[in-house]
Amino acid sequence: MTRVPVDCWYAVAFCSDVSDALLPVQAAGCSAVLYRTAAGSVAALDDCCIHRPYPLSLGSLARDVVRCGLCGFEYDATGRCVRVPTQPRVPVGAAVRAYPVREEHGLVWLWLGEPGRAVRHRVPSLPWLSDPSWASVSGALTVAASFLLLHESFADVTKIPVLAPEIAPDVLAAAPPPLDVVVSETTVALRRSFPAARLPSWQARALGAGADAPFEHDQYGEFASPAAWVDHWDVSGGGRVARMRFVQLVTPISAAESRLTWIVSRDFALDDDETGKHLAGMFESYYPRLAQALEITQTLQSQGRSGSVNVAADVAALKVREIVRALLAEELGR
Amino acid sequence: MTEARTTLREHEGELVVESVTAVAADVVALSLTDPAGAALPPWTPGAHVDLIMGDELVRQYSLCGDPADARRIRIAVLREPNSRGGSVFVHEKLTPGTTVRVRGPRNHFALVGAPRYRFVAGGIGITPLLPMIAEADAAGADWTLLYGGRTRASMAFVDELARYGARVTLAPQDEVGLLDLDGLLGAPAVGTLVYCCGPEPLLAAVEARCASWPSGALHLERFAAKEAAAPAAGERAFELVLARSGLTLTVPPERTVFDVIQDAGVSILGSCHEGICGTCEQVVLEGDVDHRDSILSEDEQAANETMMVCVSRCRSDRLTLDL
Repeated sequence: MTRVPVDCWYAVAFCSDVSDALLPVQAAGCSAVLYRTAAGSVAALDDCCIHRPYPLSLGSLARDVVRCGLCGFEYDATGRCVRVPTQPRVPVGAAVRAYPVREEHGLVWLWLGEPGRAVRHRVPSLPWLSDPSWASVSGALTVAASFLLLHESFADVTKIPVLAPEIAPDVLAAAPPPLDVVVSETTVALRRSFPAARLPSWQARALGAGADAPFEHDQYGEFASPAAWVDHWDVSGGGRVARMRFVQLVTPISAAESRLTWIVSRDFALDDDETGKHLAGMFESYYPRLAQALEITQTLQSQGRSGSVNVAADVAALKVREIVRALLAEELGR
Repeated sequence: MTEARTTLREHEGELVVESVTAVAADVVALSLTDPAGAALPPWTPGAHVDLIMGDELVRQYSLCGDPADARRIRIAVLREPNSRGGSVFVHEKLTPGTTVRVRGPRNHFALVGAPRYRFVAGGIGITPLLPMIAEADAAGADWTLLYGGRTRASMAFVDELARYGARVTLAPQDEVGLLDLDGLLGAPAVGTLVYCCGPEPLLAAVEARCASWPSGALHLERFAAKEAAAPAAGERAFELVLARSGLTLTVPPERTVFDVIQDAGVSILGSCHEGICGTCEQVVLEGDVDHRDSILSEDEQAANETMMVCVSRCRSDRLTLDL
C-alpha cells in the first residue's frame, strides 16, 4: 500500500507544545507550521512560502503574522499574504493554504483533506486524556514503517509476550482466552477476558495489593481511525477496578514513514512518582523496540516479501486492512 | 490446552428512539441514540444499518443524518402496507422512548471522490443520497440531484434540500411525469459519477442509460434483491477450502456456502442472506465464482476477487476462500 488516507483528522502535537514559537509538523504528505495566536487559537499553515520554496517554520512570528526567513513575505493566521517587502501592493490572491485545526483531548488535530469536509468527520473520543482523575506518561518517535503496519501490529494480540516478554503480565503467558472481534464500517475492536491471575509486581505495589492477589484482566483494543489505535487494560480484584488506557496516535508522514505518539494513562496511583517513572521507563523501552521490529518488516516488504499465511486471530488486522483499502478507494480521484 | 476461539461479529447495540418526525406523507424519520449517551460508531455517506425487530424481522435502512454527530443516527422509513412487516413495525411500534437493536453500520454504496456527481433518487431512495449530497457539496464538487416521487407530498426531505437551490430538480410524477433521465445524465463524461437509489424500474432505466458510460461510473443501491437468475434446481456440489482455518469442506447442492462455513464453526458475518447487504463478502483465493448477488458490479464480479457467500456459488470443482 503506497498511499495514505488524507480524509482523516490526525493528531500532530500536544496542545501544550503549541505556543508563540513556530512548530513544524508533518502528516499525510503535507508539512505544516503551527503556532498559537494572541486570541489563543492554533493556526496551521502550509509550511512553504509561495514566493520561493522555503519553510515558513524557519521564519519568525510577530503579532500573529509569520514572516518568511528567506524573502520576507508575511502571512496572517488564515494564510493570506499581508505584506511583501519590495512593493506596496500584495500580489492578488497570494496565500498559503491554511489547514482546519481542532484542539481536543489535549491534542492538536489537523485536517489535510478538502477543508469543507472537515466538519463532517470526527476526532476519536479520548476523554480520559483531559480528565484529572487520570495520570499519563507519553512519548513520540518516528518509525520508518507504514501507518498500516503499525495498526496491524496493534491489532495483533500475540506480539507483546513474544516481542517483550519481560513486560508481559502473567496472564499473557497463559493459554489465550477466546478473542471477540467486533467490526463496524470504519472501526475494528477486539476484546478478551482473562481468568484471575496475579498482577505484575509494579502494579500490585501501585495498588497496594498482595503480590499474589488474584485480579481478573480485561483487554479491549480498537482501531478508531487511521489516526488512532486505543487499548484498554482493566484489572479487577478485591472489590476494586484499576484501569489503564494506551493511546497510540499514528500519523503517516509518507507511505513508509510514520510518527507514533503513545500516551499511557492510569486511573490509580495518580500522585505516585515511582509508578509514573516505572511506566515511562517500561514504554520508553517498549515502543522503540516495536518500532525497530516494524522497520525490519517494512524493509522486507519493500524487498517483495509478504507474509502469506494468516491465522484466525489475524482477523482483526485483516479487517483493519480492508477498512483502510476501502477508505483509500473512496478517496481515489480526489 | 483448550483451543482459543476467535469470533467475528458486527457492532450491535440497543438504541433508544429519541424522536420520530413525519417528513412526508407515510414517511417518518427516526433519531436513534445510545441510552447511556455513548458515542456511536463512525460511518460515511451511503452507509446503512440493520434494525433487528425480531428473529425474522431484520431490515436495512440507510443513514441519512450527520456523520459528524457521534450521539445519534437518523433513518427514514416509508410505510409500505404490502411490506414484509418492517416498515409497519417501525411506524407502529417505534415511538419515542422505545428501544430497538441496531447492527452496523456498514457501507456498500460508498461515495467515491470525484469532481462531478449526478444523483438520481426515486421516492424513499433519497435517504442514502442525502448525506452524499452534503459531503459532495462540502467538498466543493459539481453536483446535481434529480429527485422523483409520486406526488410532492410523498417526497421526504424536500425542505432540507431547499438550501441547495438550482442543483436540485424535484420531479413529482403527478406534475411532470416520468424523470428526464436523458436530460440529467447527458453524454458520458470522464470524472462524473452517477449515484442512484430508488425502486427497481428506476434503477433499471438508469442502468440502461449508463451502459455506455466508463466502467465504475455508475453506483446503485437496491432496496431488494435483483430478480435472481439463479437456477434453484440443478445446483452442483463443490469443494470448499478455508485457507486460514485449514479446513476442506463440501458444499452440497441444497446448501449455501455461508451455511457450510457456519456449520464448520468458522466465525463469519452475515445479515440479509439475499445478496443485497454485503455483510458476508469474502476474499476469493481460487475458484470460478458464480456470482448471484446484487451488490458487486459486473466489473467486480468479473475480477473474481470477492464473493457474497450467502447466495453465490462456484462453477469450478474447488472454491478457496481467505477465511
